[in-house]
Amino acid sequence: MRKIIQNFIRYTEAVSKAVGRFSQYIVFPMMGILLFESISRTLFNRPHIWVVETSQFLMAAYYLLGGAYSMILDGHVRMDLLYGRLSKKRQGVADTITGPFMIFYLIFLLIGGISSIDYAIRYGQKNYTPWAPPLAPIKIIMAIGILLMLLQAVVFFIKDIDKARGKESS
Amino acid sequence: MSHELIALLIFSSMLLMLLTGQRIYAAIGGVATLFALWLWGKGGAEMPYHASFILLNWYPLITLPLFIYMGYMFAESGIADDLYRMFHVWMGPVNGGLAIGTTGLMVAVAAMNGLSVAGMAIGASIAMPEMLKRKYDKVMITGVIQAGSSLGIMIPPSVVLVLYGMIARQPVGHLWMAGVFPGLLLAILFALYILIRCKIQPELGPALSLEERRQISWAERFRLLRAGIIPLLIIFSMTGLFLMGITSLVECSAAGATVTTVAAWMKKRLNRRVMEDTLRNTLSVTCMFMWVILAAMSFGAVFDGLGAVHAIENLFIKQWELSPWGVLIMMQVTYILMGMFLDDTAMLIIVAPLYVPLVIKLGFNPVWYGVLYTITCQIAYMTPPFGYNLFLMKAMAPPEITLADIYRSIIPFVLVMMVGLAVVILFPPIALWLPNLYFGK
Repeated sequence: MRKIIQNFIRYTEAVSKAVGRFSQYIVFPMMGILLFESISRTLFNRPHIWVVETSQFLMAAYYLLGGAYSMILDGHVRMDLLYGRLSKKRQGVADTITGPFMIFYLIFLLIGGISSIDYAIRYGQKNYTPWAPPLAPIKIIMAIGILLMLLQAVVFFIKDIDKARGKESS
Repeated sequence: MSHELIALLIFSSMLLMLLTGQRIYAAIGGVATLFALWLWGKGGAEMPYHASFILLNWYPLITLPLFIYMGYMFAESGIADDLYRMFHVWMGPVNGGLAIGTTGLMVAVAAMNGLSVAGMAIGASIAMPEMLKRKYDKVMITGVIQAGSSLGIMIPPSVVLVLYGMIARQPVGHLWMAGVFPGLLLAILFALYILIRCKIQPELGPALSLEERRQISWAERFRLLRAGIIPLLIIFSMTGLFLMGITSLVECSAAGATVTTVAAWMKKRLNRRVMEDTLRNTLSVTCMFMWVILAAMSFGAVFDGLGAVHAIENLFIKQWELSPWGVLIMMQVTYILMGMFLDDTAMLIIVAPLYVPLVIKLGFNPVWYGVLYTITCQIAYMTPPFGYNLFLMKAMAPPEITLADIYRSIIPFVLVMMVGLAVVILFPPIALWLPNLYFGK
């Protein structure tokens, strides 16, 4: 059992890191597309209808796919008025109690995401814009990001239990 | 249970969850989901996800990662070093002059950044060691950097005004223009405070010694003025082109990010490590903000579903019988209080949709209110026990600056900012003159 859990932690973190490292480069295509559009529109008078949505999709992918990695980087602030004064072990206890809350939120995000994908595929949903791109692909990417975040939250929960019991897990 | 009571219950649950020290997005999102399920059952189950689609369609949000990227790149680019040197040399001879110069530096940085992070990083890494070396009072300079860097969200470009513009449905161009003079006003008030304080207590900010001044030739002094050229180019290519109507808002942030990268490259500061750090920090900070905003949107939706806008209107106008000005002042006071104890970014998302309709209904100008809102935000970000700027400052400042120093340092500056807030409330043209002139109203 211990072994399975350890593998779960190892693989989840590896995937979160790999996906996060990939998504941190998404700022470049965002910058590139917007720059291309501003030059193309102002100098050559040729605007493109796909620019707004493509950059919106990139943005959604950026912060959702990067979410799990940002948790590993400890980028999410906490209100440490009380928490900051606790010992490591006590912090583990606090997180073990509130961790399921985070998992609960992410589960509902995922449920919403999956039912939205289901709808998009079943009805071939397209965006209400002149370009009208299909929405299923971006919804699947968003759900993958949320799923990773959920798995990462579970990993933290397991680690917090160890911390609460006074063991420092690797 | 009455709606008011439920609203109160939701707010106190959020406060309780935040106090446990769980990650902010999780605390807020969890509370929102729980209450959505309780109030609307199955219909509430998709509410958390729905927020992500609203965010997807908030096009101006794309400026967030790009401005954050730009801030980190700017801090690494070395442009700020020359700029600091310029202020150092020109302002040094006055008592407290380096602190005033730092305020000037912060204004320049704010004009190239939409958040306060870059100003904080530059202030803590460049200006602070120089001032400590010259025996400036550490509490005062900590305050200067905190207050100065908070101008980042007031002087255009400003991410807070972009968020406000989305929520209040106001044009960002007007809002940015409206932020120019209030931002400068605050900077002048900070400088005046430093000047007066150092007149009374010269030991807080000793002037540069004569021999140190002699070492700098006049040729050198004038050469340093050129340090201002690159910043002007960045400001022009970003804010300038946007306000001239050439680039769109989102495009202007991309232009700014690109130009800053090129500037860093020309200054030979761009290497693998800088790039890697910038990208990782940008991702980390953007995700933090976006997930908080995502959770706060669901929270706001629950509040909206309860009819909180009407409840507040009812409370302020019918029950407490406040005048329009009374309502306005009450809104700022409650916002500052909430900003002290709750998460500042989440407050921005949750409180603005509640207050803005009321502001418009009472006949106030929503662009002007955006400026008031931003000043209040600046104060909220600085005030303990909870404020991002406090955390950032602790993380970035040299180790001899303790948390107690940081807490003490902000007191006079928060008071000065409240004076600034009062001045803008009393004289709306400070904010509105420029946008009205420019956009011709």
